[in-house]
Amino acid sequence: MQSSLFAVLALLVLTAVGFLIGRRRAVAAANGRASWLHSLPNYYGYYLALWTGLPAFILLALYGLFGASLVNTLALGELEREAAPLIREYEAQLARDPEYQALAEETLQIEAEALSARNEMFRAEREGGDAERYLRALGTLTAQRNEIAAERQARRDRVAVSVAARAPHTVPGVRARAGFEYWRAPSERRELFISDARALAFNEGLASRNTEEIRAAALALRPWEDLFRWSAAGVALALAVGGLAFARTRIRAGFRARDRVEGVIGLALMMTSAIAILTTLGIVFSLLFESIRFFASIDWRIHEFLFGLHWSPQIAIRADQVGQSGAFGAVPLFAGTALITLIAMLVAAPIGLMAAIYLSEYASPRLRAWAKPALEILAGVPTVVYGFFALLTVGPFLRQVAMMLGYEDAVTQSALSAGLVMGVMIIPFVSSLSDDVINAVPQALRDGSYAMGATKSETVRHVVFPAALPGIVGALLLAVSRAVGETMIVVMAAGQGANLTANPLESVTTITVQIVMLLTGDQEFDSPKTLSAFALGLVLFIMTLILNIIALRVVQRFRERYE
Amino acid sequence: MSNAPTIRDAVQARLAKRHRAEQRFQFYGLAAISAAVLFLAVLLGSLIIQSVPAFTAHKLVLDVDIRPEIADPRGDASEASLRRGSYNTLIQNSLWAQFPEAGSVSEMRELFGLYSAVNAARLLNEVVNNPDVLGETIRFTLPISDDADLYLKGLTTEEEFLPGAAPLSLAPAADGGVILRSRTGAPVFDGFLDLVQARLDAALAQARRRAEQTAAQAAEELDTDTRNSLEAEAQRARDLVRALEMARSDTAPVQLNSQTASLMLRAQGGVLRISQLQQDGRSAQGDWLIGPDHASDSAETWSLWVIETPSIARRITDRQIVWARTLKERGLIRNGLNTTLFTNADSREPELAGVAGALAGSILTMIVTMLLAVPIGVGAAIYLEEFAPKNRLTDFIEVNINNLAAVPSIVFGLLGLAVFINLFGMPRSAPLVGGMVLALMTLPTVIISARAALKAVPPSIREAALGVGASRTQAVFHHVLPLAMPGILTGSIIGLAQALGETAPLLMIGMVAFIADPPTLGLSGFTEPATVMPVQIYIWSSSAERAFEARTAAAILALLTLLVSFNAVAIYLRRRFERRW
Repeated sequence: MQSSLFAVLALLVLTAVGFLIGRRRAVAAANGRASWLHSLPNYYGYYLALWTGLPAFILLALYGLFGASLVNTLALGELEREAAPLIREYEAQLARDPEYQALAEETLQIEAEALSARNEMFRAEREGGDAERYLRALGTLTAQRNEIAAERQARRDRVAVSVAARAPHTVPGVRARAGFEYWRAPSERRELFISDARALAFNEGLASRNTEEIRAAALALRPWEDLFRWSAAGVALALAVGGLAFARTRIRAGFRARDRVEGVIGLALMMTSAIAILTTLGIVFSLLFESIRFFASIDWRIHEFLFGLHWSPQIAIRADQVGQSGAFGAVPLFAGTALITLIAMLVAAPIGLMAAIYLSEYASPRLRAWAKPALEILAGVPTVVYGFFALLTVGPFLRQVAMMLGYEDAVTQSALSAGLVMGVMIIPFVSSLSDDVINAVPQALRDGSYAMGATKSETVRHVVFPAALPGIVGALLLAVSRAVGETMIVVMAAGQGANLTANPLESVTTITVQIVMLLTGDQEFDSPKTLSAFALGLVLFIMTLILNIIALRVVQRFRERYE
Repeated sequence: MSNAPTIRDAVQARLAKRHRAEQRFQFYGLAAISAAVLFLAVLLGSLIIQSVPAFTAHKLVLDVDIRPEIADPRGDASEASLRRGSYNTLIQNSLWAQFPEAGSVSEMRELFGLYSAVNAARLLNEVVNNPDVLGETIRFTLPISDDADLYLKGLTTEEEFLPGAAPLSLAPAADGGVILRSRTGAPVFDGFLDLVQARLDAALAQARRRAEQTAAQAAEELDTDTRNSLEAEAQRARDLVRALEMARSDTAPVQLNSQTASLMLRAQGGVLRISQLQQDGRSAQGDWLIGPDHASDSAETWSLWVIETPSIARRITDRQIVWARTLKERGLIRNGLNTTLFTNADSREPELAGVAGALAGSILTMIVTMLLAVPIGVGAAIYLEEFAPKNRLTDFIEVNINNLAAVPSIVFGLLGLAVFINLFGMPRSAPLVGGMVLALMTLPTVIISARAALKAVPPSIREAALGVGASRTQAVFHHVLPLAMPGILTGSIIGLAQALGETAPLLMIGMVAFIADPPTLGLSGFTEPATVMPVQIYIWSSSAERAFEARTAAAILALLTLLVSFNAVAIYLRRRFERRW
């Protein structure tokens, strides 16, 4: 830390020095007459400062981004190589262990059975058979497999302990053990191992454990870290000095420094706008990549994911459980999302639209001065607040009303309470978008209608509304897209049961709720359960993308018509 | 000619109808706006009402005797020795001194359940910072447990105080309790007896229904876990029915237990808990929870203290209620402003939980978001508005930005998880990553508003600058940008306010963890685990403790205040600096 801080400070000083040298040299080149220069003297300073600072800072930034992981990879790779004999011994022992092999075969068999059960279940779902039976069988099989996996893991651990015990208590022995432990650890344990080692080596926070192996790993990390840190600082300073020397030679009276500096500025601006594209690409590729891994883990039965009626991602406890665990039929989630969106739009569309019409056509300036900020506040309330409101105020209220009306099974977390509150959240969105659209309808249309003797409401209904319809449809589509992607209200107020129901008083679950449920809490990254969240995210992204593109197109067309 | 009046009549009639339609339409519009405003009022009103209990807290003020043999086991007053001291024992001794009647282990546990042992850490720090207090008695203030606090606020327990109707006689019972008899023969406990019996009947009916319902549900349920839990619940309901049936009788003495209301009797300066009532309502049996100040075999003046909520339905026991109220009467429990809520970080104990940690996390996250989103957003806006050639790439970027503005926020969280955490190996739960994710999310808002602000600057400004020989870059940076700055700032602040209230993407990158230590407000704080205000609200709202409900509402009000002040600044900037051309 100290050395990089020193390097950054030195670079800053060098950059400032570069600026001063550039300026002075330019003035000197013009014999003290600044007006002979092509650009203002400051631009020569900027030019030199850019050459001094930019390459060096880019290098330091790269080091900051990738330095630590490079050091980890190199140091632990070294340890793993030293652990090679242990690893060979471990694998040989496992291969010789008949019980372990028997367990492995049993796992394969159970997975084959689970596969056929899933196929049967899906067929039964399609043809109206007894899907529940297979779902139950699948649950039993998964439980069996988990048991066997635990047994295998225990066996492996025993072998590993006995193998590791053979390494001598010398420095190379401990290093080999450290490499062995790291090699055997699943990815999330590896991260922990590395962070503990780094904590010991560089005082980065507190280590969760402090064993001989971790101390060895910490010792292995240090020389690499030192090497990289000092070489990064050295190379950065060399780059700065070299850039300074090179750019200094180029300064003449006729040198177009401003063009160069402005070129760099233009490039930087272009790169900032490229970040928008990079974000989209990042979203698309990360979702696609993880979804592909998910589909691979369920044997590419994408139709089963999209059209299956049962959603019960089993809780995967260990990394060995890759394969078919649980049922990933997402239809209940799609249905829940649709139900809640429908309820929300039934609330938001009429209220938002009528509010917009009233505000733009009827309201007195005084009313508008009150109502508009109120709607804006409604729009600015964080969704988690709406979720709290739905959970603690609206949900219990609706439940009591339903109980009073004789519906005994009413629950607090229902589709209705989430949908209602989401509708309230969307009202300002609908009203402000429709307000824009209605205001964009030319006054001449209204005046023509009034001239024919139409009342205000007739003008609105028969002239303004049809003229604004495409824009309003676009606004409503954007609102739907928002309702589909809304997370916190449904997480808090809609419940988690994957019920396939059209009854708004039952609790349903949505795509976003399941993404949150699957990705919060402890999880390892390779189980299909975790990966399925990304597949759901992909579906969500595609759905909203289509809605957005249609809506934006429609709105744009509409605007063009009256501009 | 003859039908002219009828046409006019028809028109008149139609006109009236049309005007009615007009009025109806206007009414619908007004109703829509009123509905929206009403929702807002209900939302804010319910939040304020819910948050009220959180702003005050009952605190226990104890005189703690810092006995050296307990606080300083090695006897050298060194810091190492002081840190090994048992400070909870000191607090316990001090509290026990108030109620020496509490003898058994379970009674002690109930007594010490009035506060959380975590408070001992604060006492430790006090003593370590000032070792002179060894051997002295110091006044130590600590928040009492959330359950006792809610009880004293009258929120969880219904109770009633009734004056005693007629003098009582007290006699020791064989098993160590006290037998109470109405000396005049008046049925002094009659009213309470009826209450207990009515309660029992209602509870019995409800438990029977519950048992039937859950059993039926369990039979239909497919999911094994849910079925098991339903079956367990049905079993609990059946057990309850059995217990209630045993308690309900018209002749045998009524036993008061955890299913029934509790009855306390105050006499002779002490408090008796009634455990058994005769059906005639004239005599009862009980035992002292707080011993009498003078022993006597009769009580002329006494009062009944009916705790109507059965102890199974509350999280505070009869003894704790009596102790808490007595402490309050002795002036050892005081009600005051709940400063803990704003000075502490999160805690498992509601009485010790505060929003300070989340606030620090929010500040750090917002700093990252601001440093990334504003320069990048403004840069992109300048490029697209002033420099970009009109071509398909630029169009594509524009469509992209408009679309990104409408992508659900949770998708940005997935991006952050997959790219920043899993690909780049950045730390989970860190404000740095949270700020980066929120920056990507706010970027479209900033770009769109900055472009609008740049577009609003009239072209004459640019042309004049170019006309006197400025380059395009100079024209933009020296003339257009300063004029567009108020609009850009307003848009940026609104975007940041949006990011400040965002929850879902932060759940994805692990900022939902329980964090008891606030992150340091410095450079290293950016990579320490942290949480932010909206996530804290989410965490609290899913906590089981009732006391968190009010604290959640209070945290929401704090967050809303922040957001409103952000927006007020934006509106002020717009009003103050915006120029209309």
